[in-house]
Order: sequence, then C-alpha cells, then structure tokens
Amino acid sequence: MAAYILMNMSKRYRQWVKQYQDQAWTVARYILKDAQEAEDATQEAFVKLWNNRDKIDPERVKPWLMKVTRNGCLDRLRRRRDNVEFDESHMAGEVSGPLQGVAANETRAWLQRAIGGLKEPYRSLVVLRDVNQHSYEEVAGMLELNLAQVKTYLHRARKQLREQLAEVRP
Amino acid sequence: MNEYDEEWEVQINALLDGELSPKGAEKLKADALGDGDLAAAIISAYQLQKAMENIHVERAPDSLRKKLKAIPRRKQPAPAFRLFQPRWAMVLAAIPLTLIVVSLMRPDTPPASEIAQAREEMAIAFAYLDKAGVMTGREIESTVGRTMANAVTGSINRVIKSQHLSSKEKKV
Repeated sequence: MAAYILMNMSKRYRQWVKQYQDQAWTVARYILKDAQEAEDATQEAFVKLWNNRDKIDPERVKPWLMKVTRNGCLDRLRRRRDNVEFDESHMAGEVSGPLQGVAANETRAWLQRAIGGLKEPYRSLVVLRDVNQHSYEEVAGMLELNLAQVKTYLHRARKQLREQLAEVRP
Repeated sequence: MNEYDEEWEVQINALLDGELSPKGAEKLKADALGDGDLAAAIISAYQLQKAMENIHVERAPDSLRKKLKAIPRRKQPAPAFRLFQPRWAMVLAAIPLTLIVVSLMRPDTPPASEIAQAREEMAIAFAYLDKAGVMTGREIESTVGRTMANAVTGSINRVIKSQHLSSKEKKV
C-alpha cells in the first residue's frame, strides 16, 4: 500500500518536473544571472516540492514552486551581497554591442540583458508575467502582492524597458 | 512618474493586455492623436511587446533535468534494513550473546570410545575399592578384637593384682 502511494507520488512529481522545470529555471536564471547558481537554486526548489508534496494543493503547485524558486534566488542574492553585473555570456544566443538596426536575435539578447538589469521586484514581475506568461493573479500569489500592486509595478518595469529600448533603437 | 504618467501606463498596459474595453481603446487612440508623448509611449509599448514575444522560457539544461528527476530516488524513505538502526544494532549485539549462552548450555557428549574406556576404568576402580574395603574391614575387625580383648584381660589382671596386694598388707 505504502509502495503504491509512493509510486503514485513519484509519478505526479515527474509530471510537475516536466511541466515546470523550464519555468523555474528561467526565473532562477534571470534573477541570479549565473547558470550554476540558477541550477542549484532550481534543484533546491524541487527538493522542497518533493518534501512538501503531501501538503501542497495540486492546483497550486505552479505558483508555490515559482514563489519558492524566486525566494531561494533572492536569498542567494542577499548572501552574495554584491551587485554582480549581468553576465551576458550566460545567456544563450546573446550578443553585445550597439543595437542600431538590430536583428530579432540581437533584440532578444538585448532584452534579456535589460530584463536582467531590472531591480526587484520588477525583474521577477517581468519574468513571471511576460516571459513565463503566468496570469496576474498567479503572479500576485507568487510575489505576495495584491493585484493592483502587481499591475502598477509591472507598468513601471515595462516603462523602464521601453525607455531603454527607445535609447538603443533610433 | 506622476499621476498623469501612471494613468497612461495603466491604460497602455491594459490595451496591450487586451483588458481595455473597445470604447476605452478608441478614446486612448484619439488622445494619442493630439499628444505626441502618449503616441510615442503607445508605439514603444507595442515595440516592447513584439520584442517580448521573442523571449521564451529557457529550456533547463540536461544536467539539471537529470538531477530533478533523481530527487525522489535520492529522497526515498529509509530502506527496511539499515545496519545501524537501533533495532538492528540490538539484533547484531544479541547474536554473539546467544552463541555464548547456547555453547554454555549445550551438554558435552564425548565419543562412545571414551565412554567405554571410562566405564572400564570405573569398573577397575570399583574393584579396587571393593578389595580395599574388604581388607580394611578385616583390619578393623582384628584391631577392634584385640583392643576389646586387652580391655577385658587388662581389667581382670588389675583386679587380681590389687586383691593380691591387699592380702599382703593384711598379713603385714
């Protein structure tokens, strides 16, 4: 009986990994800007997911996991206690240099850098809402903000990005 | 960012998110026709949204995927047998103790040849004992007999001697 329950939980956990590993990794990647640390932080979040699998409402796994991933990353940032500049070499397909007349790939690379350069909670908001495509309600739950705060902060974050984009795009 | 900007931002983002009513969208566009800054803000918002469409969730590296898959195996409950679990430690400690107790309780069963030899030796020993008993009995009988005889004859002699002495004394 116990073996059956465990097998069932493992199966459910594997589904969660399949569904959310990329999203959690993306959050960690943008916040930490370091591939190895992002990998460790994502792994830690999934270990917590496994350890708390019986306590989490299956319907709330995604926001729970994103919140835990983000909090773990912020803890790491606090421990690091320095403002490491965004290391573009860690972002896949990234290029450096001016963006006048840039192609789509270069725009993407620039935007990734720009998102990584935002301060918290703007960075997390943009990643969770605009990159991971979570709903406003989910983002509010993940960041423990109310809906109005999420919208206001997101507007500000997007405005910053727009202004930077306007500077590099004639 | 002043209140005016904030209100614009709310409207622009609602437009991009598809949350602005058709009436609201028309009004915003109409406002933008007479306001260059608002128009520029809407255009740049659309540009950002288009650029954002190229930003996707990143695929987690294979090394991480493997680690995440392995978590349930690494975090399985402890196996039934663990050598240093208290109950198993007790079992292990009991094994030598049991062996000692069993070895102490087990009766010695020497081989049959030894038993036969022991019986022969016992028979010889008892035969010697019998002989010694007989001889001792005879010795005791003779010794007791002599003593008894001495005891009787000795007392008679002493009586005769004393009577003889007293008759001499009377004569004197």
